Order: sequence, then C-alpha cells, then structure tokens
Amino acid sequence: MISVTPTSSHTENLDLANLTAEQTALSIRHLNLHYGDAQALYDISMMIPKNQVTAFIGPSGCGKSTLLRCINRMNDLVEICRVSGEILLHGKNIYDKDVDVAALRRQVGMVFQRPNPFPKSIYENVVYGMRLQGVNDRRTLDEVVERSLKGAALWDEVKDRLNESAFGLSGGQQQRLVIARAIAIEPEVLLLDEPTSALDPISTLTIEELITELKKQFTVVIVTHNMQQAARVSDQTAFMYMGKLIEYADTNTLFTTPAQKQTEDYITGRYG
Amino acid sequence: MNHWFKSGKPYIWLTAGAVSVSLIAVLGLLALIAWRGLSYFWPAAIYELEVTAQDGSTQVIIGEIYDREEVSYERLQESGLAIAGDGDEMLERWLLKVGNRELVPLDFMWVLAPQVVRQDTPKDLAVLERAKDGNFYGYIVDVLENGQSVVTADHSIRDVLAERIERAVQLSEQAADLQQGDIGAINYQLNRLRLERRSLGLEEQLTPAEEQRIQAEETALQQQYQELEKVLFTYREEANRDSVVVRDMRGIDVEIPMYRVLDVAYPNDMGVFSKLGHFFGQVGKFVTEDPREANTEGGVFPAIFGTVFMVLLMSVIVTPFGVIAAVYLHEYAGKNTITRLIRIAVINLAGVPSIVYGVFGLGFFVYMVGGSLDQIFYPEALPSPTFGTPGVMWSAITLAILTLPVVIVSTEEGLSRIPSSLREGSLALGATKAETLWRIILPMASPAIMTGLILAVARAAGEVAPLMLVGVVKSAPMLPVDGNFPYFHLDRKFMHLGFHIYDVGFQSPNVEAARPLVYATSLLLVTVIVGLNLTAIGVRNHLREKYRSLES
Repeated sequence: MISVTPTSSHTENLDLANLTAEQTALSIRHLNLHYGDAQALYDISMMIPKNQVTAFIGPSGCGKSTLLRCINRMNDLVEICRVSGEILLHGKNIYDKDVDVAALRRQVGMVFQRPNPFPKSIYENVVYGMRLQGVNDRRTLDEVVERSLKGAALWDEVKDRLNESAFGLSGGQQQRLVIARAIAIEPEVLLLDEPTSALDPISTLTIEELITELKKQFTVVIVTHNMQQAARVSDQTAFMYMGKLIEYADTNTLFTTPAQKQTEDYITGRYG
Repeated sequence: MNHWFKSGKPYIWLTAGAVSVSLIAVLGLLALIAWRGLSYFWPAAIYELEVTAQDGSTQVIIGEIYDREEVSYERLQESGLAIAGDGDEMLERWLLKVGNRELVPLDFMWVLAPQVVRQDTPKDLAVLERAKDGNFYGYIVDVLENGQSVVTADHSIRDVLAERIERAVQLSEQAADLQQGDIGAINYQLNRLRLERRSLGLEEQLTPAEEQRIQAEETALQQQYQELEKVLFTYREEANRDSVVVRDMRGIDVEIPMYRVLDVAYPNDMGVFSKLGHFFGQVGKFVTEDPREANTEGGVFPAIFGTVFMVLLMSVIVTPFGVIAAVYLHEYAGKNTITRLIRIAVINLAGVPSIVYGVFGLGFFVYMVGGSLDQIFYPEALPSPTFGTPGVMWSAITLAILTLPVVIVSTEEGLSRIPSSLREGSLALGATKAETLWRIILPMASPAIMTGLILAVARAAGEVAPLMLVGVVKSAPMLPVDGNFPYFHLDRKFMHLGFHIYDVGFQSPNVEAARPLVYATSLLLVTVIVGLNLTAIGVRNHLREKYRSLES
C-alpha cells in the first residue's frame, strides 16, 4: 500500500449525505449521461459542500471529467450528448429550459487541463469576463486585475508586464493566469479539470497551495488522477469507476478506511 | 544501374528537376517581360541610313532600328520585290521606326541590309515626343516665336528649345487641369441641376420657385464657365506662340507648333547617365500619364488606378461575405449531408470558367439589379442608364462572387485550426457563442482570412474576361474617383491593365508601335499584383505574429 497521508485540516466532518441547504453548493441527483448510444454516467447522486475542495478521482475514462463538465454544461458543446437527472444550484436545476447557460457559467467557472490563455495581453486576459459583462471602466478593471492576480498568486510575477502577451508566461504562470481569469468574475463554484497535469512539479505545488487558499472564497471541485494531489488538497473525495460513483466520503476516511473493495484496490494501486 | 534506381537518387533528381523547371519558367517569363518591357523606355540610337534601292535611286532614312531578322530571297521575291538572288540564301533586313506619321505613309519600314550604303549616328539628331502623331525624328533647325527666330548666338538652340518646350508643357498642363478640374466640376453641377429639374418634373413638384432657383444656379454656373473658358483660351493662345522647325529625312523643313511637343531628346549625344535619367523619366511618365493616340502612346495611369481601385473594392465586398458564410458553415450549420453538399458546391464554384461569371454579372447585376436601381432611384436620368450599364461596381461584385469560394475555404480552414480549448475557455467565462466568435475566434482566424484574401486578390487582379462584359472599357474619360461629390462614382466604367494589354496588343491600329507597350504593361500588371499581394502578406504576417496560437 502506498502511503497516502491526508494533510488537509478538517475542522469538522460533514455528513455528506445530509447537508443542510446552507452547507450545500451543488447537489447532483440521478444524473445519467449518454454519448449517442453509449452511456457515460450512471445515476450519479451527490452533494457538494460549500467552501470546500471536492476531488473526483478514478482511472482514465471513468467519467470524472464528464461529470465535472456537466456542472457548468460544457457538455452542451458535444452534439451527441444527452443528459437526464438534475444538478441543483441554489435549488434550481441547471438543466431547466429557462436557464441562461452564459449566466450559469459566470456562476460556475472552469479551469482546463492545459493552460488556454487568449492571444491577448495579460491584462486583457484577466478582464475578459468583465468586458463580456459590459464593464469597461478602467479603474474598476484595474482593481479586478490586481485582486484576481493576487488571488491567483501571480501578481508579484507579472505586475510590471501586464500589457505583454500572455504567451510569454511559463506554463505554470499561464495556468495561474487562467485561474485569475476565472476568479475575476467572482463565480461561486470553481471547476478544475486536472489543472496540474500539464505542469512541472514546482508549478504543481504552487497551484495546490493556491487551491487551499481559493476555498476560502469559492467552492472548488477538482478532477485529478493524481491520488496524492487529491489527498493533499481536498476535503471530500469521490471515487468513480466505469461511469459510476463508487464511493464518496471525506478525504481522510476514503484514503484510510475505504468502504468499498474497488476503492481500496484503486488507491492501493492495483489498477488504474 | 539497378542499384542506382533502388538508392532513391533518381527520385531526388526527378523532383528537384521539376522544381528547377518551374523556377526557370517563372524567372524566364519575368526576365523576358522585364527586358522587352523596360527596353522600350531606354533611349535607342537614331540612325541615318543611306539606302540605294534596286533601281539605283538613293534615299536617306532616319529612325530607330526596331528589329533585325533574316529572310530568304525566295520570300522577298514572292512578296513582289524585284531582287536577284538564290532562293534559299538568307538576307538580313531591318525594321526601322521612322516616325513622322503625318508625312510618310508608314511610320515603320523595312530596309534590306545589303542596300544600306552609309550608316551614321549624328549627334544632332533629335527625337521629338509629340502629343499627336507620335515621334518626330530629324535635325532641329530653328525655334520660332510668333514666326520670328529666337535663336541667338548667346543661347544654343538646344537650351532655347528645352526652355520653350517646358513653357508649352506647363501651359497645356494648366489648361488640362482647368478643363478637368474646375470646368469638369461645373459640367458635373450643370448635369446635376438638369437631373434635378427632370426629377422634380417627374414628381410634378416643379413649382415656379424651384424652377427659378435652378435657373438662377444654372446661370451662375454658365457665367463661371464662360470666365473659365476665357482663361482656357488665353492658355491655348499663349501655347500657340512658339513653334520649332525640324528638318526631316527628306531634307524638308517642317514647322511643328510647340504645344504639340512634349519632350525632346538627343539619344546619340547621351552618356550612360543621361540615358539612365531619360529612362527613369520615361518610366515615370508611363505610370503617371494618360494614354494618347488610341492607347498606343503615353502612359497607363488610368489603367493602374482602375485595376487597384477595382481590386480594393472587390476585397471590401468579398471579405465580409466570405467570412460570414464560412462562419455559418463552420460554426452554426449542422454537420450533415446538406452542409457537406453546400461545401462541395462552394468549392466547385471556384472551377466555373470566369467568362461565365461575366455573363452572369451582365445578365443579373447589370441588367436586372442595375436596371431596377435605375427605375427606382434614378428615373430622372432615364433612358440613359446610371447603374443599368457596366461599371466598376458591377465588376467588383462579379469578381467578388468569383473569388468568394477561395475566401470561404481558407476562412473555414482557419476556423478549424483554432484549438477548441480557447473556445471552451471563453465559453466557460460566460461568453455566448457569438461573443466567443467575435472576440476570440475571428481575430485568431484573421491570418487565414488574409490568406484567402491574398489568393482572391491574386486571382481577381489578373482576370480580364468577365470584366469585358461588366465594366472595362478601352478608354475611360474619367476616373471612378474625383473631386465631385460623392467622390466615388461606382457607376463609371474604368480601365484595367489586363484589358489594356489585350487592347493595345490586338485592337491597336499600329501593331509595331504597340508591341513594346504590351510587354511594358504586362510587367506593370505583374508588379501591381505582386505589390498588392506583398501588402496583404505583410498584414497577414503581422497578424500571425500577434495571434500566434499556442504551440504547447
């Protein structure tokens, strides 16, 4: 058994099955997802608590990224994708017909596997979301840039070259820029889809520290296939396998005393 | 040998050979055009030849040697020349440009080399470039002012002549400016007033007050016109003052009014540097002046302007259309059979012969659309058409349709090359699809759009066949852009370098004189297209650098 020592400090152990409304950021109910004829997610139900880091782990192709992309409806971009079931945000199903997807995505931000800065300056990258909302006042934007870049622990590195192209940054800096861009519009939930898989160990460490900071302000959901990372940064962990949610518990419990045989096999490295 | 084949070397030679052949073809073509075109501007030596004809009579011929060729006695005998000799033997003959078109039956003549008994290049031989009747070759004898000689011992005849020519050229330039500028504007205003009166008449709103106003304006304009006309006549009289006397090859003194003379040169008395100066001067005149003498002389400025203007207009039309169509096809249209069919149809449009577009443009744009526009907006000008006749706008639109597939295809390619992560990144920040397109996708696709535009320009600038149906003319009296409101006159016909080549080469009354012009104009057309393309490529490279996509 590899040694996985959860380091996150848990002030309280939440009862994940019965969260109160104030404690809940998202609740997923009986979510099924099909790509054409193939089913990718089977009857997922889970509650994601507010201002905590929730990690999805599991072997490649288990559906963890698909589930994450359901939360801000990025799967809408895939034409053959069909979703049934509910995801409630503030008690409102985000798959209802009257939901404005763009508004939803402003509430639920997302950071992708590879850094994807826009071909603009660092400054313009950060204020992109603000400009979309019609905010063009220079002073407001300046404040947003400083706050977001500080929030993403990038301010000190780039404050003197805000007007240079974002492509001049290193991979790790680009990823933090993307995080700054996401938090600039102050979402409630931040989805991180394997945010460190394209980065070197030092950048990874910086991002992980950042995630712990971010949860003070945002609810963070992170997909990772690095179990140590899940153990280091998350409060709750969900283990998925073959499109099914196998086990969902607080990170400490899941890594030390998994309830399911499959979970134990996975975290001890027997497959995946 | 077998081993050599297996080594793969033959294929290297084969492929490299193909490349070299293409290179040689391109460079050879350019070199030929450049050489033949540019040598037209080089001041050629003027020869004075004494020729003894078959019957023993002697004749002096002055002119430039234009061409030399070998012909057989047989051909000469068959053409009716009484010349003794063996049928198969070859004989050299020279083609001479003797100019003086109004005095001799032909300004080009063949001379058999053996018949030349004396050949000379006297330094005093001059060539006068004239506004009418082409060049005049001969010896300058005298310069007259009101019939009196003004050549004195202090001033050499060349200086006096140069000075007088400069004065005459300035006067005729002033006259031309007046005619095209102020007088042209007055004519334009008068025509506008005429149309206004008719338009009011058609709507039955021509009240006496309106009639009076229009008449008053007309009278004022007429008065202005008469004043300007007086000025114009004084210019002309002034220009009439001087004349130059030249002794031609027959030994007769000919008086040529100075306002006809544009330039004088003594090519036999020029060093390399003055020849170079003359050469660049001639090139400059060629690209800045209007054509004369049914396009066989003078410059090609209206054709350059027309070509560039039409191509720019076409770019302005084709780019938004092509980009919007490509965006729909790539971003919004469902990925199904119909979309695929449309795409194939668009690509195949590029293969339709261009003359077919010309026919379509004439039938649809000029007659249908233009005719309807005339009936709706310009009824006062009917029956003379405004837009219901070929013009620069219809040419630009026709060529825009011709080049639309190119822009659509390359824009689509550009759109599909943009990493989907950037789209997702933008959408995840709450952008709608349209916002993402506008703020991220289109800027990043702009280099590809420019590539499409470059290809479109390259194709459109060289297209002549469709233009002959929808707007090009041999000689346009006015440019499509001038100082009269609304400044851009898209209904006007225009001149085009490609058509100019065809016109000068095949429709010209003076084939020999036109031949070098064909090369010079071809060279210019290639230069213009290369210039347009280089500009577009410059812009594209700049954009590429700006939106360099993520390589990670």
